[in-house]
Amino acid sequence: MPTFTETAKATKKKRDIKLVGIDMYIITDKGIPKFDDIGPFKCEFISNRGTKVWPGFVSPDLLQVNWYRCRFMATKDVQDADVNTFLDALTKKGWWWSAAQKLWNYDGEAGFSKAY
Amino acid sequence: MAKHVVTMLPGEGTGPEICEAVRLVIDASGVDIKWEYEDIGLDCLEKYGTLLPDKTIQNIAKNKVALKGPTTTPIGTGHKSANVTLRKVFDLYANVRPAKLIPVLKRPWDKIDIINFRENTEDSYAAIEHMVSDEVAQCLKVITWPGSYRIADFAFKWAKDNGRKKVWCVHKANIMKMTDGLFLDAFREVAKKYPDIESGDIIVDNCCMQLVRNPAQFDCLVLPNLYGDILTDLCAGLVGGLGFAPGANVGDGCAIFEAVHGSAPKYAGMKKVNPSAVLVSGIMMLRWLGEEAAAARIEKAMFAVLDERKHVTYDVGGTAKTDEYAQAIVDKMHAKA
Repeated sequence: MPTFTETAKATKKKRDIKLVGIDMYIITDKGIPKFDDIGPFKCEFISNRGTKVWPGFVSPDLLQVNWYRCRFMATKDVQDADVNTFLDALTKKGWWWSAAQKLWNYDGEAGFSKAY
Repeated sequence: MAKHVVTMLPGEGTGPEICEAVRLVIDASGVDIKWEYEDIGLDCLEKYGTLLPDKTIQNIAKNKVALKGPTTTPIGTGHKSANVTLRKVFDLYANVRPAKLIPVLKRPWDKIDIINFRENTEDSYAAIEHMVSDEVAQCLKVITWPGSYRIADFAFKWAKDNGRKKVWCVHKANIMKMTDGLFLDAFREVAKKYPDIESGDIIVDNCCMQLVRNPAQFDCLVLPNLYGDILTDLCAGLVGGLGFAPGANVGDGCAIFEAVHGSAPKYAGMKKVNPSAVLVSGIMMLRWLGEEAAAARIEKAMFAVLDERKHVTYDVGGTAKTDEYAQAIVDKMHAKA
């Protein structure tokens, strides 16, 4: 008789996983970061406390902290090794970051939320 | 020139008929308001391709105060919630949700008079979610010192300005030591600035139990976003449900007052629903605008109409239409004048 864990795992449909980008969590006291493209990764948006602060309008009254989520999307097919290269390049440019989260599509659907 | 200019957001479903009823009552109170109507909600999708058009945002930015009817966020369509977008655009960080017993609604308690201050912009509502493997989803709970400090300060200041005695911080810092711990630390720091207001803290699960056993012991509650979302509805349930629950989303430069119930589209056009939640939100708005006399007049007339039960809507045992209930409140105000 299978255990609950085995039963649960058996019901989980396996999906095709594709790397499509990286969420970088950057710490800076110099305001909203600006990025050029880094290899095959292009900055798509930056949010602060979950609110999009780039591109587009930002209320001057918006409370911002020194921790930004910067979403970089791949402009071509990428592999894990490209992420390592990206992180090296970003660090060499002087950006201090707390975490990186790979962004995957699952069967073609985004496995990550958008920003407001 | 009108003394106040207010953006009116009727919303969709039953929203327009509710807001017309509420406007009838507020205008009859003698307060000098010019209403500017703007679109929001599902009906905007076809016309503007968004639930919240730029034109509406610009009008609210100009007037800095709005009264909003109910709206619905479509599930699973990818459209951003108009409510959440409003909070983000105007940084409406304080969700103020009073819960006070209404005499006509018989409840098993003698007294409930709680004001909830829910942090409205961060916590697990920061929209940072990832499928980190095909078996695991994660949502980041973001709590910041400035975000926590300002909601605590907002609550203490409100308490001081409105003669309240005690502010409680609701948290789970015994388990989430970093996030809820930071929220609690900021609260304690703010409390030092208000020595005349008593302060305390309570773990959220215990708070829920205490609320349903003895709600009279609570005065003002300050909560992170998620606990606030849940406990504000719990408190609304204690006093009779969302049909009489007012709400305000307030930032440093803007305030939007709204009912928290849905738009009840199946009743749209039937003038059947109770407009009281938007009306009491309007009363909150009048007090925000410094129109205490008009607010008190409406409140007294509304309670009198509810108490008589002659012209009340179906949800409180009557047969009156939305506009008939509103007219009865207007008549009561004029009769007392």
